[in-house]
Amino acid sequence: MIFRANLKEAVRSLSSAKQRTILALIGIVIGIGSVIAMVSIGKIVQAEVMTQFREMGTDILNISKDPAADAGGASKKRDFLGLKEALSIPAACPSIDQVSPNVNLGGEMSFSGKKLDGLVLLGVTENFPDINKVKVLKGRFISDLDENSHFCVLGNGAYQKLQGLGAGDVIGRTIKVNDLLFTVIGTMDSSTPGGMRTFDPNQTVYIHISTAMRVKNLWDITNITARVRPGASHRTAQAEVKEFFTKNVTANVKISSPEEVIAQMEKQMQMFTLLLGAIGSIALIVGGVGVMNVMLVSVTERRKEIGIRRALGARQNDIMGQFLMESIILSMIGGLFGILVGVGGSYLAAYFAKWQFGVSYMAIFLGVGVSSVVGIFFGFYPARQASRLDPIVALRSN
Amino acid sequence: MLELSDIRKSYRIGPTEIEILKGVNLKVVTGELMAIMGPSGCGKSTLMNILGLLDKPTSGTYAIMGTPVTYTDDDNLSRIRNRSIGFVFQQYHLLPRLSALDNVGLPLIYRGEREQEIRTRSLEYLKKVNMHERASHNPTELSGGQQQRVAIARAIAGRPSLILADEPTGALDTKVGQEIMDLFRRLNEEEGITVVIITHDPGIAKQCKRFVYMKDGTIIEQ
Ligand SMILES: Nc1ncnc2c1ncn2[C@@H]1O[C@H](COP(=O)(O)OP(=O)(O)O)[C@@H](O)[C@H]1O
Ligand SMILES: [Mg+2]
Repeated sequence: MIFRANLKEAVRSLSSAKQRTILALIGIVIGIGSVIAMVSIGKIVQAEVMTQFREMGTDILNISKDPAADAGGASKKRDFLGLKEALSIPAACPSIDQVSPNVNLGGEMSFSGKKLDGLVLLGVTENFPDINKVKVLKGRFISDLDENSHFCVLGNGAYQKLQGLGAGDVIGRTIKVNDLLFTVIGTMDSSTPGGMRTFDPNQTVYIHISTAMRVKNLWDITNITARVRPGASHRTAQAEVKEFFTKNVTANVKISSPEEVIAQMEKQMQMFTLLLGAIGSIALIVGGVGVMNVMLVSVTERRKEIGIRRALGARQNDIMGQFLMESIILSMIGGLFGILVGVGGSYLAAYFAKWQFGVSYMAIFLGVGVSSVVGIFFGFYPARQASRLDPIVALRSN
Repeated sequence: MLELSDIRKSYRIGPTEIEILKGVNLKVVTGELMAIMGPSGCGKSTLMNILGLLDKPTSGTYAIMGTPVTYTDDDNLSRIRNRSIGFVFQQYHLLPRLSALDNVGLPLIYRGEREQEIRTRSLEYLKKVNMHERASHNPTELSGGQQQRVAIARAIAGRPSLILADEPTGALDTKVGQEIMDLFRRLNEEEGITVVIITHDPGIAKQCKRFVYMKDGTIIEQ
């Protein structure tokens, strides 16, 4: 069969010109690699977003002060809103089920004289773990009965830091925040940052919100995480919260929903995709031109062979098929290496970004498909030249 | 079988046109073993290429089995070359990357035969030229005479009715040349294949049933 014969001949021809073949492949490898990486990373990030929101749920709204509106500079007595007002939101907004207000504080923390870096002090209420879907590992979480008390709970990262400093079980030990001492009453399980969380739950030290506000002499809370009542729509919930703020509070409010956060992430991804797509298509064009060049040389070198084949009865289409097959095989070999590079690249990206790695079969089909299209497209011209050679001119050439 | 009437062929080199074939008239009858002789450069190969449909004449008509050749249908020309004509060249023209066996199978590939069929047929024809023990050898591993035998096996593998041989013994010594000639005679006598041989060697020409002489671009019958 001509197909099988052409396939064999392509392999024979390519392996007899190894160096040239390999050089031509570099562009294809980079091109296909970028395309594969683009698709794979896209898939990985999408899956990552899904797991983040699966952990915390998508029935969440983040309510905070609108930083853009702050630029007005009008001196307001109040920055955002007080704890009481925040807690009255579920009563005023029927679509909101629960709220978990927090204050986000800086401050120097230390344990037995050693500084604890990179930790955030967060004042929270009792329902914080429930809404934010974080779990207690040991001891207990802050309760609303701990009002004004100097108890604290450690996020998993903070817990490990303290253990590293020789705090052992840590429960019952004290840490120092500015000049105040707090007793550790519990530690948290580790959980993924991102999604609707405005902070890294692992690098956080939790205290009761009342203590936080009193210590810092604050009137306003920083942020509210609200859970939407089952069956209620995000849009109504948002509208109700907006109305609540226009009625009761002078500050401008910013409400972000999972949709917005996902949209934000997708926008970032798009930049990435665009970049890889641009690199990929340029490399594919360069690689394609490389394939074309190799094929043109191959046709020139094998004019005599073409003449002999024509004398033995090869039709123009048979010659065309032979050279097209060769260019397709050439770029598919590049494509296979490109798949390896692309999958490897996305593995590294996932590894460093701490995403869950996965291979998308779609990407592999795409790699094989795109490389054969490149082979056909850039191999067409040389193959047509080969097929159009006058048999006698071809036969006479050296 | 073949009939050339007033075939002319000219090449344009720069502004001047040189006529190589100046009105060739020739009939080749089925079953013939025929030699064409003539001085070098007189146009023998040009004529041979026209007979083999590798080249087209500037003017004149060429009929195969009574049907005039139309040069516009390239696929049909390929088909006739593939099915009815076997070529043997002075320089053998085997494909260097293919084994003897695969070289012999080439015409069959372009006929769309199955791989197994091609292998058995190729081996059968290699046997006919007594080269079956070298089936897996590449052309570079064979002597000139052996290569020419493989080339002849390739020429007959497609069971053509006509063999066109352009100085098939030109690159071989007398003894090996005679063996090749014996092969052509056998094919002509036993299989009834029409053979046209171009040669410089009067010794070869004498062994043919008929021979013509070319001079100044025309044929002089002997
Ligand atoms: N493509 C070509 N262009 C110009 N001249 C050619 C071409 N092919 C052959 N010739 C000329 O035609 C003449 C006959 O060539 P050829 O048929 O090969 O002679 P022979 O086979 O009898 O030695 C030679 O003078 C050769 O130079
Ligand atoms: Mg000649």
